[in-house]
Amino acid sequence: MLLIAFVVHTSFAQEKTITGTVSAEGLPLPGVNILIKGTTSGTQTDFDGNYSIQASPGQILVFTYIGMTTMEMEVGEGNSINVSMTEDAQALDEVIIVGYGTQSKRKLTDNVAKLTSDDISEIPTPGLQNSLSGKAAGVQVTQTNGKVEGGINIRIRGVASIGAGAEPLYVLDGVPLINDNESSTDAPTNPLITLSSNEIESIDILKDASASAIYGSRGANGVVLITTKKGKQGKGTFALNMSHGISRPTNKREWLNADEYIELFTEAAINTYGQEEGTARAEGMFDDLSSGTDWRNREVSTDWQDLALQNGYVTDADLSLSGGNEKTNYFFSGAYHDTKGIIRGNEMERVTARVNLTHQLSDKFRTGANISFSRTEIDRIANDNAFVTPMQAIAQSPLSPAFLDNGDPNPSTLYSNFLLQDKHAFFNTVIRRVTGRAFGEYQFLPFLKFNSDFGYDLYYQTEDSYTGRLAPFQSTNGEAFVSSLGTESYVFSNYLTFTKNIADIHDIEVVAGMEYNNSNRRFESVTGIEFPSDDFQSISSAAEITGGGGERSRNTFLSYFARATYSLHDKYLFKASIRRDGSSRFGKDKQFGTFSSLSAGWILSEENFLAGFDALSFLKLRASWGQTGNANIGNYAWWSLYEAISYNQRPGISPIQAENPFLTWEKVEQYDIGLEYGFWNNRISGEIDYYVKDSDGLILENPLPMTSGRDFITRNVGLIQNKGVEFVLNTRNIVKDDFTWNTSINLSKNKNEVKELPDDGADIITGENIIREGKPLNAFYLIEYAGVDPDNGDALFYTNTTNPDGSLSKETTTNPNEANRIVTGQPFADWIGGLTNTILYKGIDFSFTFQGEWGASIYNAGGVYQSANGDYWDNQSRDQLRRWQQPGDITDVPQARLFGSNGVTQSTRYLQEADFIRLRNLTLGYTLPESAIEKIGLSKLRVYFTGFNVLTITGYDGYDPEARSDAGSTAAGRGIDFYSAPAASTYSIGFNINF
Amino acid sequence: MKKFKTYGLIAFLFGAIISCEKELDIEPIQEIPQEVALSSSENIVNLLTGAYESAGNIDAYGGRLQMLSDLYGFTDQATWVGTFQQPRQVFSKNILVNNSFIRDFWGNAYSTINMANLVIDHIDIVEPDLQKSVMGQALFLRALSYFDLVRFFGANYEPGAQNTQPGVPLSLKGITDYDTDLTIARSSVEEVYAQVISDLQEAYELLKSPNSYFAGKYTTKALLARVYLQQGNYQGALQAASEVITDSKYKLTPSFEGAFNNDVNSTEDIFAIQITSQDGTNDLITHYADQPFGGRGGDIVVEETYIDLFDDENDERAGFFYISDYNGGTLTSKYTNQFGNVPVIRLAEMYLIRAECNLRLGSETGDSPLNDVNTIRQRAGAAPRAAVTLDDILLERELELAFEGFLIHDLKRTQRSVGELPYNDNRLLYPIPQREMDVNSLLEQNPGYGN
Repeated sequence: MLLIAFVVHTSFAQEKTITGTVSAEGLPLPGVNILIKGTTSGTQTDFDGNYSIQASPGQILVFTYIGMTTMEMEVGEGNSINVSMTEDAQALDEVIIVGYGTQSKRKLTDNVAKLTSDDISEIPTPGLQNSLSGKAAGVQVTQTNGKVEGGINIRIRGVASIGAGAEPLYVLDGVPLINDNESSTDAPTNPLITLSSNEIESIDILKDASASAIYGSRGANGVVLITTKKGKQGKGTFALNMSHGISRPTNKREWLNADEYIELFTEAAINTYGQEEGTARAEGMFDDLSSGTDWRNREVSTDWQDLALQNGYVTDADLSLSGGNEKTNYFFSGAYHDTKGIIRGNEMERVTARVNLTHQLSDKFRTGANISFSRTEIDRIANDNAFVTPMQAIAQSPLSPAFLDNGDPNPSTLYSNFLLQDKHAFFNTVIRRVTGRAFGEYQFLPFLKFNSDFGYDLYYQTEDSYTGRLAPFQSTNGEAFVSSLGTESYVFSNYLTFTKNIADIHDIEVVAGMEYNNSNRRFESVTGIEFPSDDFQSISSAAEITGGGGERSRNTFLSYFARATYSLHDKYLFKASIRRDGSSRFGKDKQFGTFSSLSAGWILSEENFLAGFDALSFLKLRASWGQTGNANIGNYAWWSLYEAISYNQRPGISPIQAENPFLTWEKVEQYDIGLEYGFWNNRISGEIDYYVKDSDGLILENPLPMTSGRDFITRNVGLIQNKGVEFVLNTRNIVKDDFTWNTSINLSKNKNEVKELPDDGADIITGENIIREGKPLNAFYLIEYAGVDPDNGDALFYTNTTNPDGSLSKETTTNPNEANRIVTGQPFADWIGGLTNTILYKGIDFSFTFQGEWGASIYNAGGVYQSANGDYWDNQSRDQLRRWQQPGDITDVPQARLFGSNGVTQSTRYLQEADFIRLRNLTLGYTLPESAIEKIGLSKLRVYFTGFNVLTITGYDGYDPEARSDAGSTAAGRGIDFYSAPAASTYSIGFNINF
Repeated sequence: MKKFKTYGLIAFLFGAIISCEKELDIEPIQEIPQEVALSSSENIVNLLTGAYESAGNIDAYGGRLQMLSDLYGFTDQATWVGTFQQPRQVFSKNILVNNSFIRDFWGNAYSTINMANLVIDHIDIVEPDLQKSVMGQALFLRALSYFDLVRFFGANYEPGAQNTQPGVPLSLKGITDYDTDLTIARSSVEEVYAQVISDLQEAYELLKSPNSYFAGKYTTKALLARVYLQQGNYQGALQAASEVITDSKYKLTPSFEGAFNNDVNSTEDIFAIQITSQDGTNDLITHYADQPFGGRGGDIVVEETYIDLFDDENDERAGFFYISDYNGGTLTSKYTNQFGNVPVIRLAEMYLIRAECNLRLGSETGDSPLNDVNTIRQRAGAAPRAAVTLDDILLERELELAFEGFLIHDLKRTQRSVGELPYNDNRLLYPIPQREMDVNSLLEQNPGYGN
């Protein structure tokens, strides 16, 4: 008994209460884990950063906090240990947002690319996604064309879908964002144009299935997690940023001037109609085109391209206020963005505001809310396939004056003069968006936390348009179209997080929860004609209402999910996740699906056998497997549907969709093996990944014989595979106090191949694209242009009939109907890469990003009009002057023949590779020394110059190697250019002030 | 106890979500499923209206079908000056297999046919007193569509011969299940004509006249006259046309002008596609009219060669043109009302069919060929003829019916050449659309269009 008492006494005698404060950057840090090394006893700091723990001298306290360097302090004689933690400088210990939680990059077993506000801010472009371009391996960002609001395509590790959406899921602070194109014109708009980059802290792109499987049936195209800024404890900081820049098109093309136009078309008419009649026809047409001006003396030589394209500008201004105390953190921001596009009549203005608040109610209960709203107003122009869209002005004859003497647009041009549309019509879109989230977090027990989030996203859009009497094609005394659309989505998520560290050996985290997502869409529109005069332009002034529409639709998702991560000795890492999703979008028997993933990692650099390699600072091997789904198929795709129609204002019904009760999500299965490395104290670091991504049960609009009355049925058929490698290399070339130079290179190769198709592998052909087994998705399928017969100037095509030995006959024919189509070229790049350099020298910062893409081709569907050796009166690209003129001429442009259809059909003549390297952005800034600005009460003053799309190196002859047609929502995925505007090249100057 | 509360709260929250599961069953809001559409009398009648709407689509009788028939026949009478390539190919008689106007005509025709078939298949559930009318109209729409399909895609019908040349696929059952083999081969021209005639005869027995702007008894008879004429069955055409003229209530409009640009059917419209400002598109306006009338400015310009065909300057038809502000070309005045109906069968055609058949057969059923021709001429203010020959009647058709979709079919049935091309040249036959060849292995391409 005595002995026991003694022992007990002894232990009590040695143990004492240690108290202290943990801080970072001079501010108390709450929630720091403190553990006595080698035991299971530990505690956390409270919201004042204070802690108290029983420990004995000689024991070691381990302080850990995500994003901070772990610190160990030995208990000595004193009773107080204050710790000042520092941010972990090693890139490999970044905090990665993974959905329903965070993880350290070091212990991550997934492939996630992280971008921070430094990577994306200050880039003068209206679309946030544009600023991601070239920054992450395997992530391709393409803006459809140079319209400011233009749709944006992001492809993460290749195209994984044909008929369902191929866009990733965007999640903003836990709220899945509405990302449906809601344009009432044919040209898509970018629904995320409403986001402003100034309020964004980080963007985490979940690339492999192990990472995205937690998003189940919506994770197949990857997930983009956007995290907004939060206030940090301390005195409030104002940050002001303003910039203004000018834009111009990245490229202009050469078109015939009046001289050349007359020369080519006189020749073309003579070749078709003979000397006398041909000359007369040509001159007659020149008389018409020149509208009474003296074309013989070249009185007019209009450059229509210069009228369609203009110099624009971009203005940005944003202000934020952030700060906090031990209980409350706040972040307020407001931003203004104004773009005048490079295409006449195309403008955009946006105002955004955000409030992020968190409050620690008690030491167990934390709550908060994020609310943002924005208003985006866009002056739009017609889609690329409309005669009145500015870019189609390049088809006008240079002989036609653009304006009459009185300054009004000339109404008698070859095609309707877009300047009339520009002057007498408008199409205005306003998008209001409110996105918010309220959340609570309750720490039941040190190891058990409960989170409940309610998120809401409202996308409310109105469109107003009026086409006045003098606009082209206007015959009804004015026409107005107005629409109103509201889509709201709310998401309710609840999950528990269990965290346990056992004896510093086992580190376990389990997350389990459920989520319910409900989305409602409502659309209304009214069309009216007959206005008293053009002074009246609102729909209420229409004497006759000719159309009205209303649509409603809904979808719901119900999900259960769980994720467990386990690490052993901080070396052996394991993760498993599962999600069960149900959706209203699928047939009754196919409503639920389960998506799971497994991954493992091994930090080799922690092993003793590598301890001798001093140069090696980090080495991790990881492998993952996972399943995801793609539910982007529209709300009622499986039903057989009839819609109401009207004939002579009498109601009727009409079938619109063939039934498929088995329709379900596309299933994507992805394997990934990756290696993360760091050498010489991570002066050189990076990742190498290899992945195979199989998309099965692809949702396809399967063409049917139209003799059945329908042209397609939506089916889950087919398999495509994307496989590839990704390399990331980050180097810190110079690391000195006042001089650092970092380089980041990413390069990825993706091979896309259609593996299986329905109906015994039958080809699926849409226009100039084919889906064929063994070929890349939507490869081009065209008859093959064989050049020009030197004897007579005829355009030739290869017949490409199959010889008995299986080869293709390279005999030529002048009749395109006798030529067989071949598969040639693909619309997607297979190599993409980016190179970013950041140099900081004293107060100067300099950074630039090069981006390149290789392997894609673009088909110029407008070529049959633009480069048609004088087939019709459209102005021709200047290269048509190379036409065949006399026997023996060797050229690739056939003899000019007016209405002769000489080589003027869709063929490989208009297909071209579109490899490019682009200096995507460049920033040069100078921060004034603090000593110089303290006097005027500032804590930071920086001035900068920045450029976007500064330089393009390409062999492509069209406008822009990235521009694709926006006419028809699927055109972009098929690599088609049709009078598509080039991107904007912008140069801005600006400043940042903090105080 | 505290733990109890904790877990209770969690269970409650999760339970709230589980109860959401019924929220996964969501029905479409503004459409109806097929089983509802095909289960009530009301909806079958609605579907018939849908079939009219489909037939009136721009791809077919809303205008393109008529426009392309004329463009295919024009050489020097009118010129396609528009920018669209598809009609230009038809005008130049160099059609490519991927011509989308032709593809869409094919697709639209079969869509109309399938709707008509669905109506016919479900006729039993239609209210008994509506059954005959609904059935008759569905048969009429099916016959109309097949007749134009076979005229464009099948080689010319040769009177007295075995017309075994490929026509078009004959689909006579409504398709509701699309998860089956839907390939189908072309039937012969003879079989397609036989089906058209049998449908029209059956419809004639079922329908009453008039039937508002829908197909009635004499609409089917008038179409039958047109079909027989195309076949060279002059006796049949004569009987049918004469019956329409004498027995129906249709009357020629007092003026030639009055036959066109009508918001509601004129007294002479035996069948017309209904266009209003709220539904339907008159595509003849799009391509024939100047911009103030809602057109593209005049894609089809009338040449002097056509105007010179008129031999009487008082002939209202000789001056039924205007000059386009947009391109300075001469445009027909037949299409100047953007929301006007598109005539498909006018009574004037019946007079000209009767005249031609009587003349060919040496008969005077109904009236003499001379009187019938002069009826048409006098209505337009043209001097009556003293005597008529077959050529006079064929000329009169061109004067009266130009730009209404007759030319190529008239040239072919009378075996006249089109410019330098003989009437039976391969180039005067539409190609089977490439898109259709790609998905239906049983289809045979027309000669001259590769394989």
